[in-house]
Amino acid sequence: MLFYSFFKSLVGKDVVVELKNDLSICGTLHSVDQYLNIKLTDISVTDPEKYPHMLSVKNCFIRGSVVRYVHWPADEVDTQLLQDAARKEALQQKQ
Amino acid sequence: MFRYESLEDCPLDEDEDAFQGLGEEDEEIDQFNDDTFGSGAVDDDWQEAHERLAELEEKPPAAVKEQTGNGERDEMDLLGDHEENLAERLSKMVIENELEDPAIMRAVQTRPVLEPQPGSLNSSIWDGSEVLRRIRGPLLAQEMPTVSVLEYALPQRPPQGPEDDRDLSERALPRRSTSPVIGSPPVRAVPIGTPPKQMAVPSFNQQVLCPKPVHVRPPMPPRYPAPYGERMSPNQLCSVPVRRSGTCQSAKSKILFLQLQPGRMSPSQFARVPGFVGSPLAAMNPKLLQGRVGQMLPPAPGFRAFFSAPPPATPPPPQQHPPGPGPHLQNVRSQTPVFRPDTTHLHPQHRRLLHQRQQQNRNQHRTLNGAGDRGSHRSSHQDHIRKDPYANLMLQREKDWVSKIQMMQLQSTDPYLDDFYYQNYFEKLEKLSAAEEVHGDGPRKERTKLITPQVARLEHTYKPVQFEGSLGKLTVSSVNNPRKMIDAVVTSRSEDDETKEKQVRDKRRKTLFIIEKVKFTFYYLLRCRSLQGAHERSVFIWQHVGGERGFLPSDDHFVQIMCIRKGKRMVARVLPFLSTEQAADILMTTARNLPFLIKKDAQDEVLPCLLSPCSLLLYHLPPVTVASLLQQLMNLPQSAAAPAPSNPHLSAVLQNKFGLSLLLLVLSRGEDLQSSDAASESTQSNPWTEVMFVATRELLRIPQTGLAKPISIPTNLVSLFSRYVDRQKLNLLETKLQLVQGIR
Repeated sequence: MLFYSFFKSLVGKDVVVELKNDLSICGTLHSVDQYLNIKLTDISVTDPEKYPHMLSVKNCFIRGSVVRYVHWPADEVDTQLLQDAARKEALQQKQ
Repeated sequence: MFRYESLEDCPLDEDEDAFQGLGEEDEEIDQFNDDTFGSGAVDDDWQEAHERLAELEEKPPAAVKEQTGNGERDEMDLLGDHEENLAERLSKMVIENELEDPAIMRAVQTRPVLEPQPGSLNSSIWDGSEVLRRIRGPLLAQEMPTVSVLEYALPQRPPQGPEDDRDLSERALPRRSTSPVIGSPPVRAVPIGTPPKQMAVPSFNQQVLCPKPVHVRPPMPPRYPAPYGERMSPNQLCSVPVRRSGTCQSAKSKILFLQLQPGRMSPSQFARVPGFVGSPLAAMNPKLLQGRVGQMLPPAPGFRAFFSAPPPATPPPPQQHPPGPGPHLQNVRSQTPVFRPDTTHLHPQHRRLLHQRQQQNRNQHRTLNGAGDRGSHRSSHQDHIRKDPYANLMLQREKDWVSKIQMMQLQSTDPYLDDFYYQNYFEKLEKLSAAEEVHGDGPRKERTKLITPQVARLEHTYKPVQFEGSLGKLTVSSVNNPRKMIDAVVTSRSEDDETKEKQVRDKRRKTLFIIEKVKFTFYYLLRCRSLQGAHERSVFIWQHVGGERGFLPSDDHFVQIMCIRKGKRMVARVLPFLSTEQAADILMTTARNLPFLIKKDAQDEVLPCLLSPCSLLLYHLPPVTVASLLQQLMNLPQSAAAPAPSNPHLSAVLQNKFGLSLLLLVLSRGEDLQSSDAASESTQSNPWTEVMFVATRELLRIPQTGLAKPISIPTNLVSLFSRYVDRQKLNLLETKLQLVQGIR
């Protein structure tokens, strides 16, 4: 539940999601679920617009398993807290 | 058998009884015939009858049902409801499962809204269906086109007006499921982030002006049917409020949107509609709303700091995209912001941030978007949606089912553990904001805390299904409770136990290893038997015992061998066959450890067997070795100058038969060597001489008590000692050691 919790705190922020098919989508994170599926609103394709078929798409749902990266602004996240959360998770896994 | 088709065919001369009997039979036959083929057969369409019955049962909600005018749809839906009823009945009979989780129930849209509220607007397609449905209801009379294809598969909201208090879990069954949720345990946990059911009521009364957002959640599980068709586009939606600009009930609905959470997602959640919750809350609502409206608009200055991300970098150019619903809504309702009608539970601060963000975005959109081309885009979009043949593949019930599964998976007993990051992040934000606000004129916004209910995880024990009125228990296994086949008990061990067990295991392993080694040794012995010649055998054995390794680094190995009786015997036998060096080593080691060996030998008394080989060996040893051997044997101090106060080593040696004999042998041998060399080097100081000096001194010092009886006394000892000591001492030594045979 670690990353689900983490992404919940990012809801409403602008993120860039890079997919495994090399498509990068920039948008506002609308919601996330426990499978880390992502819904973005107001999306635009970053990088060169070599994916013109996305021009008319405003909102999208991205299945969690096709995400390669999610970029977010650095000041949105508390790395210390993230580390603590990761440690807690590891401890839980052990038990 | 012949049959009379009618009474008239009967012959007249039959009995009256028979007549009557026949007649009766005929009547029955006639009746049957009539019923089947004739006038009695009512051409009754059972389907229609069923429908009528069903309609009687269900009270149609608002205008929704009538407007669609699609008979197929109704029928399909009725059938579904029928199934649902059956499922309900079944589940009632079954000892139950409970899904009393308000959040889960919220995820499931099987209840109609009590007061359909028009004018609720949402801002994105994710918020669509429920909102759309709700709005559609009262507006249908006005201008909504009958979207027949769309509505084809829409399930009806079964009328639940009088039945709201019934347990909702029984309703939320997927249409196609063949087995109700049988035997599942009652689930009382709530998903992460769900606010408590009845918590905030007292607090609410205090704070009308600045109410706590969000966790004043209505205790009733809300049911929000969508007044619109599910595939209604936001543009369609927006066309509605344009006409009904006057609705200021919209304020109420908008505010209540606050109660839903935009962060959580599930398949049908985006089709969720906000807060019309039920009558109990109605009284509270007005207060809440008023308070809310006041609070909503001006964002606290302190929160600006948390807006780190700029508004979206590339808003779509207005010509290409259908404009978002935002600007429309802004036009319609001038001041009130639009909130995301979602039901995930966000931390209040999070929500504030989100709304502020949305406001910003909308302001941006408004300035950027033109006013003209909205209409055309909208209509094309509508057409497009209307013709979509793949719309509504899943029924609302099915969607609810799936979303309920997801919600259940998110239930947590310890939100601080499972949801660690989220909780702590916003706590920190709050602390920061509190710290900042201290400087200001006192905190206007109260410290809002995210209260997530923690529910103890119940033990789910398997109870076999029981039906009413049946004997015994059925073995029914469904996907929700697979049958328990084996009573496997999990025993977890503590740390201490584990280490102990480990130790035991290690020890066992070691013993096994040693046993293996012994086995191998026996194996070698067997091989050894096959070897020719005693010499080879002995050497073979000795090698395998580890004699090759040398003893100086570790005497222990050899000493251990010598502790055993067989070991000593074996050494005695092997000794003649070893090389001189090895044998000398052995002898040295023996001498060094002699007291220990003597002690060990107390029971067996096998050491004297070593004597003869030792004596044989001695003859081969060089003088230096003999000297050092003597040193070892007597444990003499290295330097002649400093005598030790007592020499327990020597006394032990002397008290033992073998020891004494060995000593005497060594002395004798040394003397022999000396005398043989005397011709060449008479008074040269050699190690032997030095040692002898010390030796004689030691011997003189030793008390006479308890000296053993040597096996043999060499004859040249007198001459030996006479060399080093004067007469007196010689006499002393003689008496002590009984060197002179005459004394004995």
